[in-house]
Amino acid sequence: MAGNNDTLREAAARAGLDKLDTDHLAQLERAIQSARELGDKLPKDLHYSEELALTFLLPAPGSKKP
Amino acid sequence: MTDLAFLGIADAAVLIRARKLSPLDYAQALLERSTRLDSRYHAFIRLTRDLALAAARAAEQEIAGGHWRGPLHGIPCGLKDIIDCAGLPTTAHSKVLVDNVARADAPVTARLKAAGAIVMGKLATHEFAIGGPSFDLPWPPAVNPWGGNHFPGGSSSGSGVALAAGMLPAALGTDTGGSVRNPASMCGITGMKPTYGRVSRRGVLPLAYSLDHVGPMTRTVRDNALLLQVLAGHDPEDPSSADVPVPDYSADLERGVKGLKIGLVRHFYAEDMQAHPAQAQALDQAAEVLRGLGAEVREIRLAPLEDYATCTRIIIRCEAFAIHRRWLAERPGDYGQLARQRILDGAVVSAAQYIDALRLRGRLTRRTLAVFAGVDAALTASSMDPTCRIDDAEACARLYPRQARQPFNITGQPALAIPAGFTQDGLPLSLQLIGQPWQEAMLYRIARAYERATGWTERHPPVA
Repeated sequence: MAGNNDTLREAAARAGLDKLDTDHLAQLERAIQSARELGDKLPKDLHYSEELALTFLLPAPGSKKP
Repeated sequence: MTDLAFLGIADAAVLIRARKLSPLDYAQALLERSTRLDSRYHAFIRLTRDLALAAARAAEQEIAGGHWRGPLHGIPCGLKDIIDCAGLPTTAHSKVLVDNVARADAPVTARLKAAGAIVMGKLATHEFAIGGPSFDLPWPPAVNPWGGNHFPGGSSSGSGVALAAGMLPAALGTDTGGSVRNPASMCGITGMKPTYGRVSRRGVLPLAYSLDHVGPMTRTVRDNALLLQVLAGHDPEDPSSADVPVPDYSADLERGVKGLKIGLVRHFYAEDMQAHPAQAQALDQAAEVLRGLGAEVREIRLAPLEDYATCTRIIIRCEAFAIHRRWLAERPGDYGQLARQRILDGAVVSAAQYIDALRLRGRLTRRTLAVFAGVDAALTASSMDPTCRIDDAEACARLYPRQARQPFNITGQPALAIPAGFTQDGLPLSLQLIGQPWQEAMLYRIARAYERATGWTERHPPVA
């Protein structure tokens, strides 16, 4: 269990979370398992040509929109 | 008093304009009722009595002076407590933000005030619109007035409860994975998630930037159209806001559904998930009601529910963690157990998975909109089940994923939840109408025809 907690503390530290207590680490462990299961459900044929480019849009000339 | 408690926006507006109902009397009556009932139902985080009475007095004087601003003038309303109202704390129902006083109104708050609405207070939510129902927060969770001690859905839980209990005729909620439509379904009221970009989200605490919507919650369809009319419009300072003309949402309300093509997404509740028998029956009966009113209702097929759910969950986890990372790093113990778990879930999703979820979102959206090109709107489930007891944590946890709301956060389409009957135990059942982008008026038209034919929105819980 101590070894497992060390692994979880390392995972937490990688995410910038160094104040998690034992209960929080147990929650992180559930998160890791859940992320694995969720990732397995993603389709395997997704292609870079399907990119949404939602996150970056230059304003039109003269536009006040940020 | 009972009459004022369940008076809707449209009817109250007629009385207020004719000076047969005083905005001050109206506000005082609902404040008294809210104060009396809220020790049981916990809809409010904060009742703003003095501010509300001052605003009601001002509305009364303005109307007496011959200046009636429109249907929201003098109408009491509430704000989910992730929406900023200048000078009041925006707590998100969390210890993390107990002292977070808003410096300015969110544009949606400003629009309500400009329309003359009376802000009565800040309403309970699931913590940060993600963790609930929770009993380890500074305020108790809101309780559904339908049933003995039942879950009101969430995350806009206080909004749903305040409307159902006759504390308010209008409230704002937010919807990232269904959080307007879920309490609407569980509390037997009407909730709209508008098209993505239709209503500004600036000044609203985000849960997941690319999925968040602000939406109107009311008891009736007509009232919902009136409330959206005030909220809708371009906000040049919100990058997600769309510069699309706003139609008159009430213009076609009484046109009926004769000749409309309505797709029935039956596989969501009959194959992908098995809805509770009473809920499934209510949906099939709703399709028959619409057929009887002259609509052409035929089954359509979208992607399996699980595809949309996977996509939504990955995006919410990643975006929510990015928003909360600093607070969670510094004060993990200040979060409730449920919110902390759901936000921690995003700490370990890879960047590649997030990008794949965005690709999947594009694929699902294209395919969904292609199907919708052949219909005027679609009908399906909102929730798969009626609500459960709020003190049964396992039942509440089982309830949340049994829904068909997330697909339309992914596609950004407008989606409206309305009452569709009751179980034998008297708990609300619901349906969901979905439209093509920017076609909220079509949803109101269909919902109004169904509401008129069934009368479900006229029922209220037995609240003393």
